[in-house]
Amino acid sequence: MIQKDLSINFLGVEFPNPFCLSSSPVGNCYDMCKKAYDMGWGGVVFKTIGFFVADEVSPRFDILDKEDTPFVGFKNMEQIAEHPLEENLATIKRLKQDYPDRVLIASIMGANEQEWEDLARLAEEAGADMLELNFSCPQMTSHAMGSDVGSSPDLCRRYCQAVKRGSKLPVLAKMTPNVTDMCEVAIASIEGGADGIAAINTVKSVCNVDLQKKIGMPVVNGKSSVSGYSGKAVKPIALRFIQQMRSHPSLKDIPVSGIGGIETWEDAAEFILLGSGTLQVTTGVMQYGYRIVEDMKNGLMHYMEEQGVDSLSDLVGLATDNIIPAEELDRDYIVYPHIDQEKCVKCGRCYISCYDGAHQAIEWNDAIRSPSCDKDKCVGCHLCGHVCPVGAISFGEIVFKEGRQGDRRIEDIRL
Amino acid sequence: MTSEYCKEMDLPLSPKGVIAEASRCLLCLDAPCSQSCPAGTDPAGFIRSVRFRNFKGAAETVRENNALGSVCARVCPTEKYCEQGCIRAGLDKPIHIDRIQRFITDFEDATEMEILKRGESNGKNIAIVGSGPSALQAAVDFLCYGYSVDIFEKQAQAGGWLRYGIPEFRLPTEVLDKEIKRIEQLGAIIHLNTDIGRDLSLDDLKKQHDAVILAVGASAGKTLPMFEDNPCVVTAAEFLTEASSNKGEVSLGDNVVVIGGGDVAMDVVTTLKKVGTSHVTNVVYEELFEFRASKNELANARKMGVTIVDGYEPSSVDNNTVTFTHRRIPGELKLSADKIVLAVGQYPVVDGLDLDITNGEVRFEGYRTEDPKVFVAGDIARGDKTVVWAVKTGKEVAEAVHSVLEGEE
Repeated sequence: MIQKDLSINFLGVEFPNPFCLSSSPVGNCYDMCKKAYDMGWGGVVFKTIGFFVADEVSPRFDILDKEDTPFVGFKNMEQIAEHPLEENLATIKRLKQDYPDRVLIASIMGANEQEWEDLARLAEEAGADMLELNFSCPQMTSHAMGSDVGSSPDLCRRYCQAVKRGSKLPVLAKMTPNVTDMCEVAIASIEGGADGIAAINTVKSVCNVDLQKKIGMPVVNGKSSVSGYSGKAVKPIALRFIQQMRSHPSLKDIPVSGIGGIETWEDAAEFILLGSGTLQVTTGVMQYGYRIVEDMKNGLMHYMEEQGVDSLSDLVGLATDNIIPAEELDRDYIVYPHIDQEKCVKCGRCYISCYDGAHQAIEWNDAIRSPSCDKDKCVGCHLCGHVCPVGAISFGEIVFKEGRQGDRRIEDIRL
Repeated sequence: MTSEYCKEMDLPLSPKGVIAEASRCLLCLDAPCSQSCPAGTDPAGFIRSVRFRNFKGAAETVRENNALGSVCARVCPTEKYCEQGCIRAGLDKPIHIDRIQRFITDFEDATEMEILKRGESNGKNIAIVGSGPSALQAAVDFLCYGYSVDIFEKQAQAGGWLRYGIPEFRLPTEVLDKEIKRIEQLGAIIHLNTDIGRDLSLDDLKKQHDAVILAVGASAGKTLPMFEDNPCVVTAAEFLTEASSNKGEVSLGDNVVVIGGGDVAMDVVTTLKKVGTSHVTNVVYEELFEFRASKNELANARKMGVTIVDGYEPSSVDNNTVTFTHRRIPGELKLSADKIVLAVGQYPVVDGLDLDITNGEVRFEGYRTEDPKVFVAGDIARGDKTVVWAVKTGKEVAEAVHSVLEGEE
């Protein structure tokens, strides 16, 4: 079995691998974190501790399905740790004693500057390697905490300063995606003393509505609430925020711990390529258990091998510069679809989607049930390729738009 | 405890399972499956409804087209019809259209949907002789057109071959009963224990009705000359009827030879296994590559441990010992058995109905006999001898009669 070094130095802390449990139900007590460490997770962000002790509802989760795929997205109403602060601090201390080589990040949440400062000090005293400031839980019952704080640059700045007064540990500020511009809040947090950004927390959501009861899900004694949405469905949203931060002039090369729908090594690699030094996972673990880390680690090692990379840090941010503003993209050419008639199973889905969703450019030969492309109408959008169930449609001929080639060669176009 | 014979063999799809199966569907343009059903069923339509979670709409699509949707979902040899056209087969295997249809009709039943609506009365009435699938389908179509319908069944219960032929483990009586009840609730009046030609004459029916549909089916088992009057021989129809009437409490001994290779033969051999027969040897005229029974039925027979000997025809019989000769390869096979079952086809019993039947069918195309008031449907009409084909003839005969009677107005 392949062995590659997955270790990475992040905010001065040595992680044996980048995979961490995110601050959530999956890292809520000693036994859970112990099992996760034993299964190979590089770090744990212990479920957020604070002076506030959560009082939770039942039931508290919901899932979004699509066709026969469950957990496309996951809605969660849990707040921060439901154990008393002293108990959580004792757990952190014990975990760190038993697993000195694994990283333990204390996620903290206060209701005012004094609480933030005190929590930072207490977490450091308990032995945590790093702090993560929860500015982002969207379902807190107190509006002095959670994503209401995370959408205020001023509060984030002040609370980061308070934390830095209480502790010398490296600090991650965890962002809420429930803002228009995450950069503004991230910059304020960095100005306040944060060393890096964790992104994203969950997206405010109503996942499903019970059609008979006419109540959002989950139903809590006849009512429901907006709360955080996670899982695969939020991955594109997380990547977008990370990209926007990492390409912002004031946040360039800022250390990021990537969070949002990671469940495979490919998801992990995408977050890394867009600039994440470490990765955090919850929903995948809730659905499948801690064991998913095995394939994420092994798959990532194989990817490093394929890429000829010996240090994970060499992959961090490699894709960042390849995402540019829309106005800077090359709009001078069209790439037409190539339909492989051997592979084609003659279902006609390309015809339907091109007609109803694109430019009526697929012609359908009824007699032999065969599609072809009318280049006079085709704009090269490739919707046909996306709906083809057998991958029979690929990139074909590239043609420059009238008068747009200049001195460039077709071969120079990178598809 | 339910006996093996009475326990439905195929498990239903779960609500998640049916979505998974529907999601395998490629949702083709001008879907070939929907062009391949003799009864005009639109699987592409109801699979798409399931895919988009519109189960009620799916049930309407099935039921408005097929009065025997629940039955067909269980007994149709779909591999020869809709699934043969399925494009998904080019990737891995066809969509299990029958199982999706079964889920839909089970849903329809569980939610007590009443989809079919009787048409406004036109004051005319139709007599249907027989209560098998073609008769039941025709009855529903007539009712929807606005006719009143009288069904005359010589047996004590309605359903014809569905009740007395197809074994319980493939088609539970409960399912059939519900289909028939639905049709009665729509307005059909079923006269049981009424043998036309004996209890009532065809002329009686003609006098009292605007049209008469003969849908008597092919309920009698054929035999072969060498087996006539042999006490060791029973026909498939006799055996299956006995098994069905006695809920599987039937025995032909421990060692039975079955001759024939159609779907009825498969029903016989699987029934024999279900009722505990140790040794079931099926000798088939066709070789496996030209087998007539559906692949599914053949696979079930094999799974149950039936010995299938293909390519042989009986050449002589001595009491309970049959000698078979291979049709292509020189060689003989001699088998002795407790009983010999002949599953070599069926024929219609048409005494007193004034019908000219050749090879089990009428000699003319279409449905109208020389007597302008009398029509045929089901197995005695020309075409396939499957339930879905019977449904097709039921629909078509109703349409034919309706256009004639409308024309008279």
